[in-house]
This record gives sequence, C-alpha cells and structure tokens, in this order.
Amino acid sequence: MSAETRFGRMKDLPSTHLLGTGTAMCAGCGGLEALHEIYDVLGARSVFVNAAGCMTLLSVYPFTPFRGSWLYTSMASAPAGAQGVRDALDLLLARGALPPEEDLQVVTLTGDGAAYGMGLSATSSAIERGLDFLYICYDNEGYGNTGQQTSAATPHGARTATAVGGHVGWKKDLFAIWCAHRPAYAATVIGAEPLDLARKIEKAMKLKGPRLILALAPCPTGWGYEPRDTVEVGRLAVKSGVFPLKEYEDGRVTHTKPPHPRAPVKDYLRLQGRFAHLFEPKRDEATIAEIQAAVDRYWEGAG
Amino acid sequence: MFRIRFHGRGGQGIKTASQILGSAFFRSGFEVQDAPRYGAERRGAPIFAYVRADRSPIHERGVILRPDLVVVADESLVPIPAAGVLQGVTSNTLLLVNSPQTPELWQQRLKLGAPVLCLPVESEGEDRAGLPHIGATCAGAAARLVGVVARESLVQAVEDELAKLGADELEFNLDHALAAFDAFSRHAGRVQEGAAIEAGGYARPEWIDLEPDAALFAAPDVEGAATSEGAKTGLWRTLRPVIDYERCNRCSWICSTLCPDGAIRVEADHTPRVDYDHCKGCMVCVAVCPPHAIAAVSEAGARAEESPA
Ligand SMILES: Cc1ncc(C[n+]2csc(CCOP(=O)(O)OP(=O)(O)O)c2C)c(N)n1
Ligand code: SF4
Ligand code: SF4
Ligand code: SF4
Ligand SMILES: [Mg+2]
Repeated sequence: MSAETRFGRMKDLPSTHLLGTGTAMCAGCGGLEALHEIYDVLGARSVFVNAAGCMTLLSVYPFTPFRGSWLYTSMASAPAGAQGVRDALDLLLARGALPPEEDLQVVTLTGDGAAYGMGLSATSSAIERGLDFLYICYDNEGYGNTGQQTSAATPHGARTATAVGGHVGWKKDLFAIWCAHRPAYAATVIGAEPLDLARKIEKAMKLKGPRLILALAPCPTGWGYEPRDTVEVGRLAVKSGVFPLKEYEDGRVTHTKPPHPRAPVKDYLRLQGRFAHLFEPKRDEATIAEIQAAVDRYWEGAG
Repeated sequence: MFRIRFHGRGGQGIKTASQILGSAFFRSGFEVQDAPRYGAERRGAPIFAYVRADRSPIHERGVILRPDLVVVADESLVPIPAAGVLQGVTSNTLLLVNSPQTPELWQQRLKLGAPVLCLPVESEGEDRAGLPHIGATCAGAAARLVGVVARESLVQAVEDELAKLGADELEFNLDHALAAFDAFSRHAGRVQEGAAIEAGGYARPEWIDLEPDAALFAAPDVEGAATSEGAKTGLWRTLRPVIDYERCNRCSWICSTLCPDGAIRVEADHTPRVDYDHCKGCMVCVAVCPPHAIAAVSEAGARAEESPA
C-alpha cells in the first residue's frame, strides 16, 4: 500500500464515529457496518442522495444519522438527483454565494436493486457526463427492504423470495460495467476489512469525477444467518475469492487483498440459510462445483 | 366485539399470530380486522398486531386502545413503556404472558387488577428473538381463550396462513398452535367480549392553536445532526454484550470499528464502552474480539439484576 495513506494499521482508524446510532437497520446489518466505516473517513461535509431501499429508513424525519443533508429519490434516479445537487452547488460556487471551503461531496447511496438494475441507465449517463459524485452501492444481493426478492446482483444458487429453488442466473458484474465507462475511480470494499475500505475512501475523496464504491453487504435477514456472523461471512467472502477486493484507476485494475490460498467456496456458502438447500437434505455437488469453477475461472483470468 | 392485541419482537411471528387468529375468527363466521403495527420491521424490535372480530360489520378503525385480551410473546417487553403493552389495560382485560413466572407474581407486579395467565414456556433458548413457533403458540392460546373458535377452524386458519411455507413448517406451527389451544381448555371463554364503543365515548383530542412558525423553528431537527440518537434501539436487544475489562487488551478498537451500529465508543485511554441505549444486541463484537473479552448475557437477566423489583 502506498505511503500516501494515513491508514497504515488498525490503530490509525477513527476511534470515534460520525454516523449517528439509533438507525432502523437490522441488528448485524453488514451494509450499515460498511456505511459507518465509510462515513468516518468521508466526514460530515457530504450530502447523500438515497434511492429507495433499506437505507431509506436511515432518515425518517425527524431522525437522521447523518450530519449533513440527505435527499430521497425514486429507485431509478439517484444519479439524476446527484446531478441536480452538484449543479446547484456549482451555481452557488460560481456566484460566490458558497465559499469553496464549504463545498460538499455529493454521494449517491443505493442498494444493488437500484445500482445493478433500475438505476443503471441513469448511472451510465451520469458517468458519461463526467458527473463529480461518489456512488456507494451496498450490495446485499437482493431487494432487501421488500423481503429479499431476486435482483441482478443475486448470486447463482441463492434462494430468494422469488427463487425458492435457488437463483438460476448469475450475478451481474457491476464493477466491470463501471470500468467500461472509464470512471475516475472504482473500488470494491467490505465492512469486515476496514483498513482496505478506509484507504479506498481516502483515495476516492482526493479524486474528482464519477467514482464507485461497491460494498458487499452481508445481510443476516436476507441471507439467513445469525447477526453475530456478519463479519465472519464477510471475511469468508474475501478468503474464498467470491468477492475480490480491488480497485480501478487510470485504466488498470489492481487486487488489493488477493486471497492466498483461497478457502473453498463451500465454507462461505454453508454459513448461509440462502444456500442451505445445496447441503440439505441432499448435497447438490453439481451446483457447488459450478460456483467453485466460476470463482476459479475469475482468479485464473486475474493472473 | 372482541379486541385482541399481540405484543412481541420482530422475528417472533406476531404479525402471523394476528393473521391466524383473524382467519380462525373468520372461519367461525365473524367479521374480522387484523393489522400489524411496527416502526421498523426488524428482528428484535418491539412490534404489535391486533385483531377485531364481531358478528356484524366493524366500523371501528385504528389501533386497539381498549383491549379485551393482550397476548405478550416476550415478557421483557411488559415493563418497557415504549412497547405499549399495558396501554388501555383495565381490570376487565385478560393478560396472557409468555413467562416462566407465575400469574400471581405478575398480578402483584402490575397491580392492575387484570387477570393474568402464563404460557407454559418450553425449553427456551437465551435469545428470545429466535423463538420461531411463538407466534403460532400465541394464536392457538388466544383462539381458545376467546371461547368462540372451534379447534377445526384453528386448523384451517393455520393452513390458510402458513401452507405457503411448505409441509414441514406448516406441521411445526400447527403442532404448537394446537398444543396451546388444548393447554388452555380450562380457560376457554375467559376473555370478556367488550361492548361497542359509541363515537361519543371517545375522548376528544385537545386542540392547541398555534401560529404557523418558520420551518427553522417549527421543525428544528431539519438542521439537526445525528438526531437518530433519539431513537433508543437498545430496546431491540435480547442479548447484552458485556466487556470484561480485565481481559480486554485495549486492542486497536476492533469491536468499535466492526460494530455495525457504531455503538462502541473508545475513550482516550483506549477503553471501549458500549452504548446500551443504542446497542441492538447483534453480538458481532462478541464474535470478533480477539481475546474473547466480551460475553453475551441475557438482557432480561441483566436488567433484573440492575433493578431488583
Ligand atoms: C420503481 C420502484 N419499484 C419498486 C419499489 C419498491 N421497492 C422499495 S425498496 C425496494 C428494494 C430495493 O432493493 P435494493 O436497491 O437492493 O435495496 P435494499 O432494499 O436491498 O436495501 C423495492 C423493490 C420502488 N420503491 N420503486
Ligand atoms: S434487510 Fe439486510 S440490508 Fe436491509 S437493513 Fe436488514 S440486514 Fe441490512
Ligand atoms: S475488541 Fe476486545 S480487546 Fe479489542 S478493544 Fe474491544 S473488547 Fe477490548
Ligand atoms: S452487540 Fe456489540 S456489535 Fe452489536 S450493536 Fe451491540 S455493541 Fe454493537
Ligand atoms: Mg439490495
């Protein structure tokens, strides 16, 4: 890791937290874990544009965990909302009505349902326009707020409310879709790896233009595991190679924590109720092998 | 009209309990309303649901304020004002509490003159949010206590509501509903059906005329920071993390960083402190602490020790 980071070791991470407690997220929410770690680094000089999803419940008047403004948009249009906020700030700056030191980071915060599906068109055009914004997607691999239906981020084999026998499709590669747009920055993070996360937020904040932070968000409610296991599930997602931690910068993708050796994917799957049907009553070796093969293929390609 | 309120925590099947009882009344020829009420539909958070049943069309609306029967799936909610368990309870209200204590003890504690019954608690785990059958048990008991629901109607109602979960789940819940129904045979019909409430019987809201203020004054929290701290999510907790400061090695605040809610503060001397007003009891800190310095203890037990009644 480069010498430019102020996060050399765990002790460099913030020991007090900026995001307010008392939110309506589930106990053990992996998305909230990532968000509070991100917010600690990002700071209060930010404005959040939030599409419908679990995290809409963060700010229900008169309660908000944020220290700055928050705007709610429909599921498909958070990047468009961010454009409006950015434009308004730029106008104020140009008119001298807002001193430059009071400028704000414009942050889009959405679930995977919005980021991978409904909001993808608005995202694509915002990146195309070079919008200066940070897009945080907390990816719980389904429509969590409405009862964990299948989304474009649901992994192969996972049971959801709309795929009772296990999802037959494969998770869309949103990171690659962003990279194909040549954004200023894109990174994957997870709350269970807070140092890696802090360094990436630090880096993203120094850049301008469209930037993606894609956080895998272990979800006890939707994934079917005990809330206490959120960090264990997250660490195994990384160790098994299912969720590669990486970043895109200047046209290049770098893996920031490649797992050596990789844990078998079954260790990750087995912890979660949504994959229980792959193990009980009869082991579905074929599906487990298919998932393992897809992960192996990814890492062979990653070289 | 019968007015029944179920109280419990997210994850205990309270909404399902009211649906089952509603369907059982319906199958017995009643007009029925059933509705859940929750702030955040989250595991562990206090929630309630209610059922109205009458032989003629029901014109009452909204939350039941004068219940004939209150069923409490989690006894730790009774003393929490925000959970509203005792709201509108009079000496005519029957209380059914899932509790290892005796009904006599509850009557002494509550001093409401209301009759109390206790659900026979089976080998219960430490974590009350994880009682998957308690909703069905509550519905079965309530169906017997009202005295107008036949066993067969209860069976049909459980099938109506839970067949979609598959044969195993259905059988599991049906067993628990029927066991509770049978266990309360001695108390069949104990619930006193409440009289119709006339519109004139409602207390009039007390209006206060105010001049419209500027938003900054009328709604000051619009500009407030981290106002969510006003919501005491500590109420959700059924397990409590307790730090053993002898064992805690003041590591690089792993618990504080990984607590999803940011509910562990680290003091200047590196001592971690749990904010019990907001800790939701997920036990992530217990799982991640390297020297295993954090223990998970029963919240109800910890609270009882703090304030011996
Ligand atoms: C256009 C539209 N369709 C459906 C909904 C209902 N809805 C609200 S939240 C939600 C799920 C969103 O999923 P995701 O973006 O992954 O966020 P999560 O709930 O998982 O946090 C849905 C479908 C909506 N608000 N708008
Ligand atoms: S459903 Fe999942 S993502 Fe949504 S608040 Fe609960 S744990 Fe978090
Ligand atoms: S993780 Fe454990 S050792 Fe580290 S500060 Fe917390 S309680 Fe102490
Ligand atoms: S149990 Fe621990 S990790 Fe969970 S909310 Fe409470 S303090 Fe945080
Ligand atoms: Mg989602």
